[in-house]
This record gives sequence, structure tokens and C-alpha cells, in this order.
Amino acid sequence: MSDATSATIARAPQPRARFRNATEETPLARAVLIALAVGGLLLLIFAPLAVVFAEALAEGWGAAVASLGNRDARSAIQLTLLITALAVPLNAAFGIAAAWLITKFDFRGKAFLITLIDLPFSVSPVVAGLCIILLFGANSLIGGWLVAHGLPIVFAIPGIVLATVFVTFPFVARELIPVMIEQGRAEEEAALTLGASGWRIFLTVTLPNIRWALLYGTLLCTARAMGEFGAVAVVSGKIRGQTATMPITIEMLYNEYLSVAAFSMAALLTAFALLTLLLKTMLEIRHADQLAATRRH
Amino acid sequence: MLSKPLIQRTAMPGLGLSAGITLTMLSIVVLLPIGALLLQGAQFGLANIWDTVHRERVWAALFLSFRLAFLAALFNLVFGVLLAWVLVRYRFPGRRILDAAVDVPFALPTAVAGIALTALYAPNGALGSLAAQIGWKIAYTQWGIFLALVFVGLPFVTRTVQPVIEEIETEVEEASATLGATRFHTIRHVILPMLTPAALTGFALSLARAVGEYGSVIFIAGNIPLRTEIAPLLIVIQLEEFNYDAAGAIGIAMLVISFSMLLAINLIQIFTRRRIGHV
Amino acid sequence: MHIDIDEIAKDFATSTALHPVSLAIPSGALVALLGPSGSGKTTLLRILAGLEFPSSGRVLLNGQDATGLSVQDRRAGFVFQSYALFRHMTVFDNIAYGLRARPRASRPPKAEIDRRVTRLLDLIQLPQIAARYPSQLSGGQRQRVALARALAIEPRMLLLDEPFGALDAKVRKELRQGLRDIHDETGLTTVFVTHDQDEAMELADLVVVMSMGRVEQIGRPTDIRSRPATDFVRDFVNS
Repeated sequence: MSDATSATIARAPQPRARFRNATEETPLARAVLIALAVGGLLLLIFAPLAVVFAEALAEGWGAAVASLGNRDARSAIQLTLLITALAVPLNAAFGIAAAWLITKFDFRGKAFLITLIDLPFSVSPVVAGLCIILLFGANSLIGGWLVAHGLPIVFAIPGIVLATVFVTFPFVARELIPVMIEQGRAEEEAALTLGASGWRIFLTVTLPNIRWALLYGTLLCTARAMGEFGAVAVVSGKIRGQTATMPITIEMLYNEYLSVAAFSMAALLTAFALLTLLLKTMLEIRHADQLAATRRH
Repeated sequence: MLSKPLIQRTAMPGLGLSAGITLTMLSIVVLLPIGALLLQGAQFGLANIWDTVHRERVWAALFLSFRLAFLAALFNLVFGVLLAWVLVRYRFPGRRILDAAVDVPFALPTAVAGIALTALYAPNGALGSLAAQIGWKIAYTQWGIFLALVFVGLPFVTRTVQPVIEEIETEVEEASATLGATRFHTIRHVILPMLTPAALTGFALSLARAVGEYGSVIFIAGNIPLRTEIAPLLIVIQLEEFNYDAAGAIGIAMLVISFSMLLAINLIQIFTRRRIGHV
Repeated sequence: MHIDIDEIAKDFATSTALHPVSLAIPSGALVALLGPSGSGKTTLLRILAGLEFPSSGRVLLNGQDATGLSVQDRRAGFVFQSYALFRHMTVFDNIAYGLRARPRASRPPKAEIDRRVTRLLDLIQLPQIAARYPSQLSGGQRQRVALARALAIEPRMLLLDEPFGALDAKVRKELRQGLRDIHDETGLTTVFVTHDQDEAMELADLVVVMSMGRVEQIGRPTDIRSRPATDFVRDFVNS
């Protein structure tokens, strides 16, 4: 810019668009990055979601609803609800106990304990199922004894619950531990000096502080529990009408080329997953201060 | 000198109960089953495990699982950082929906993802047919496996990097600019190095998830031995034939792979964290 | 280099940070922008650096209009209140950053960069810390490294935002003299922002008292003390 031209426009208000903020990318770079992000998610996330519903409704609502009404489909839905209703509370109880132990007491080996709790994250679900079969299968020591006493684990509901708890093991504890560390022990200690019992402290002091984090972890746990496939595929034996959960039934129907039935059941699970995400996003927006710091965005 | 007590004495109630529940469940659900796998391996013997793993089909499956998981995690590393940047730094319509969509792979059952991706990217699918026109076959090839692994690992890098981007002080970027650096130079030499530890964590999580992934892959893979057969599927096949020794051997190999990967990345992270410190 | 601020105003979306402000800074001066928070002093400093752009008015550097000059091209050595050191780089790499960021054609050779960084480390009297990371430094050391980093690009002017704000009282006193020495040695036109009137009076040749986005008084420290122009200046200086 030469002095002559700048002098003539000096008093006029200068358009801000001329000056780019030092911490921003050029508009072109921004547009390219946003386009890449949107494009990537369209191809990877939104298109598959749309396909689930499109395939389910390929022959109309009637066919889709009817495919969910038959006996095997209803049994699968009931089984998945039952498994979830058993696995999630077990996991929540474990998560609360583990978080209490880790955040309220000081002991040696705490870091190691946390590593062990995280272990299932890095174990393949199929390997998890394999481990359960090797421990509780009919030809193992424990499994053989249990089968003889009428309590089979593998190829039965207890095995599916066990597999589901394994793959969702760290979910609740992981959410609670950072929140409880942040909140410290002072409130519980105050209640203690006021003569409250342990249970009373937990119910009236701790629980109100961690309820949203607990709900958040439980939500993630529920979504994963309803959808677990690999571990359940291995331990369930895939007995139609008995140990076939919704995801297992989807696989069976898909392999039999019953596309509408497979995708209708998939749509049901997808609808639930989307509902989970909606609730999760609402929690993040409304109760951000009571969730672990990494969840606040 | 007195050694540190195992447990610090405290008036806080519930030690017995919480320790009881934690250790009992940890044992029954995680430790005993994994112990059973290791015991099975010990009985089978190291030489036999090695022979099993070294069979051409098993070796190919393990190599395939690891290689594609690595490539998918690498893709997610780059795309995940880009996505995190766009979601944190830019304001545009639909940003919140995009942000929520990142979590879909966490919430969507893997079997559902598997059949949906297959239906979409099969040669007769909506996008697969487009790709087929340029001679690109996605489903039933290694591309399909790659795609499924990218899907399941997508959220990890974005979710670990997002909070770090939020915490970058603008002043650091401004400082770089006042020193004469172009925006590109600032991103390359100031911002990306700050994101590295978190991005590596996300990479490791994404990799661990992808190596063991089964549900979303088997539908789209085609499952041709030596070419598109993943290691977890091989375990399932051995189990269906009641060949517990072979299944156990492959399972142990997979455990070793994922643990050593996590260990390696943790060490890298400890190293970077120590150098940079928490200021 | 002399700096002329000509009727600079700055509006933000909901407020006005600066009413038209004019100011002439002679070459080689050490100037303090003094005022309470919200007085617009930091905004003015950031406009000088090219980190923000005025809604109207001009910035003239050596008589040349620099209003639209980008921050990169403006070559202002800027020291941030938080220092904004790159924590993943050693002290050496921090100081060398601006030289290495130059386009290849104007980038000094490696040996020259080494030489300049070493000289700057001597100037800030910390020759032994080149290999350390910012997290391993004391607050005072960080401030001096930030100063050296800003000087490395051979700036045309030196701008400092509350350079002593994050330090405790004792270190603050020491570093005041340090800044004065560096200013005298380099001869750079220097502007620093402060809310501490002692700091401004002791250090600066020229003090600009600001309040609510306006300049209340410009003068030598003794003039401001003895002949405050407005009630605000009288109250602020005597408080």
C-alpha cells in the first residue's frame, strides 16, 4: 500500500474484512477443512445410518413392523432387554464400589488396580468370549461342575451376562473416578463428624454429587450392552429363540438374506442408539459441571 | 525407616464392602477368565502355540488384522485431529449435530454398523456402485475391512484431542504470529506438537479397538482365507470346531499384540509428557 | 523508529474499547501505557502489534501507514502477560523460533541462528538454560526468555503487555532494571502496559495515563505527579 492511497482513505471507517485475525485460517482453508469434516462424516456416519432405515422400510412400514412381531424376533428383543437389565446394574454397582475404593482410600497398588479395570478395553470381545468359554465351558473344571449341578453358564443366559459385563466393565467406573477425585473427601468427612452412618453418607452426600456422572456412565454402558456382538456370539451358542440376542438375530437374518427383517431389527437398535446420544448430549449441555472434565464440550 | 502401610488408616466407612465388590467382580469377570486363557496356553505349550500362530492362514489373519487396524488408526489420527479442530474452532450451522454424530460408533451396535456399511459399499449399494464405476471394489475386499475399522475407531482421536484444543491459549498462537510465522508454520510447529500426546492416546485406543474388532468387520470382509480373513474370525471358526487349543493360541497371540502396543504407546506418552511438563 | 497513533478507535460488538486516541511516540522512547483494567491500554498495544485492527484511524511507523500491515510483516517484538512460551520447545528453540520461521530466502544460516541465540541468552544473563524446557524455569526466567524470543527477530519496536504482572514483588523490582538495561542497550522504541503506577513512573520516559478508552494525560513521570491534568489522574496516581 502506498502512502498516497492510504492517506485519502484514512478517515473513512475501514472495512474489518481486510484484516485477518492472526489466529485464524484463511477463509479458503476454513472452507476446505469444514468440507472435509462434513464430507467424511456424511460418508462414514450419516450415510450408514440412513441406509439402516431405508433398507428396513424397503417394503413399507407393514413389512418392517411385521418382521419384528414374529416369535423369534420377540424372543430376541426380550432376551436383549433381560441381559441389559442384568448387566447394567451389576456394572453400575461395580463402578460405584470401585470408584469409592479408589477415591476415598489410599492404598498401595492403586494405579495397578485402575489398569486392571481398564484391561477389558484392550481385549478383543471375541477373546473375552473365548476366555469365558475356557473358564466356564462344559469341559472346564468349574464349568463341568456347574453343568452337573444344573447351572450351565456357556451357551446360556449367565454366560451372555458375563460376556456383556466384561466388555462394558470400565464404563461406569471411568466416568465416576475423575468426578469423585475432583470433589474430594471433605463433604463425606463432614457428614462423618456429624454422626452419619456410611450408607447415609453415600445416599445423602455422595450420590447427589455423582448422579449425573453415574447416569452418563450407565447410559454408555446400556448402549454398549444392548449392542454387544463379538463376545456374545462366542458364548451364546446362537440358539434361535433361546440365546439369540438382537445383534445375533440380525446376523442370522442377514445371512439368510432376510434383508427387511435384519434391517428392521437393526433400525430398532439404531433408534435406541440415537436416543442414547440425544440424552448424552443433553447431559453434556445441562449438567456439564458435574461430569468428568473431558466430557465438557 | 517404616515401610508405607498397605492401606492408610482412615475413618471413611465402606472399605470392606467396596474392596469386596471390586475385587470379587474383577476376579470373576476379568481376571479368572483371562487366567483361564493363559492356563490353557501354558498346558498347550509355547512351542505348540508358536506352531499354531505360524500356520500360514493364522499368520496371514493376524498380520491382516494388525496391518489394517494400524492403517485405520492412522487415518483416524489425521481425520480425528482435523475433525476436532473444525468442531472446536469453527462456528457453522449443523456443528452440534456433527459433534454428536462423532459418538455414533460408540453407541451403534457393531453388527448394525457392519450390515449398514456392507449395504452401502457393496457393488450394488448406493456408494459402492459409484465406486465400482471407477473400478474400485470396497466391500468384500481389504478396503471394506479398512472402512469398518475406521468407523469403529473414529471417535477416539477426536474425543481425546478436543479438550486439548479448547485449552490452547490464543496467546501462544499470537506469539507465533508476532514472531513472523505464517499461519501454516504456526499450525505445523506450535499447535500440532501440543496436540501430539493426546492424539497418540487416541491413536492407541483406536488401534486397540480395531485390532480386536469383529462385529462390524465380518459382514463387509468377505472372509476369504489368506486375503480378507481377520484374526478374531479365525478364533470363532476354531471354537465352532471345538478346537480350544488353537483358539487359545490365537487368543494369546492377540492379547500379546494389543498389550505390547499399548505398552509401547504408553511409554512414548510418558516420554513426551515428561519433556513438555504441565505448565 | 517513531510511532504515530492517529485517531485510533476500536469498537467491539457490544462496547467501545477505544475512543479516538492520538499519540506520538518518539524514536527510542520507553513509554508506559498506565491505567486500570478496561481502560483500553492493552487493546491499543495489540493494535500496535497488528494482533487487532482499529475500527478507524491509522498507525504510522516511521511516517509510513502500517494500519493494514499484517502481524507477521509488522515485526513488533511482543511479550505477552502469560509469556506464551512454546512449552514443547527448549529455551533455545523458543528463542530461535522467529528466525527459523522466516521464508528460506531470508532465513539466516544455522550457525548464524546459533550465534544470535547465544548472544541473546547472554543479554538476558541466562547463558546456562538453553537446553531447558519452559516448565523447568522460574517465573522471572520465563519472562526474560520471552523477552529474548521477541528480540531475536530484530524487531522494529518492543511491545510488552503487563511484563511484570505474573511475578512476585522482589523479582519484579529486579526485572524492572533488567528491562531498562535492555532498552538502553538496544535503543528500541518500547511500549509497555501496566496498571502499577510505581512501575510506570520508575521505568518510563513517557507515561500515557488512560481511562475508559480515552487518554487522560501524556507526560513525563514528574509532570504527571506534580501537575495531574484531570481528577482521574490525580486520584489514580495518588492511590
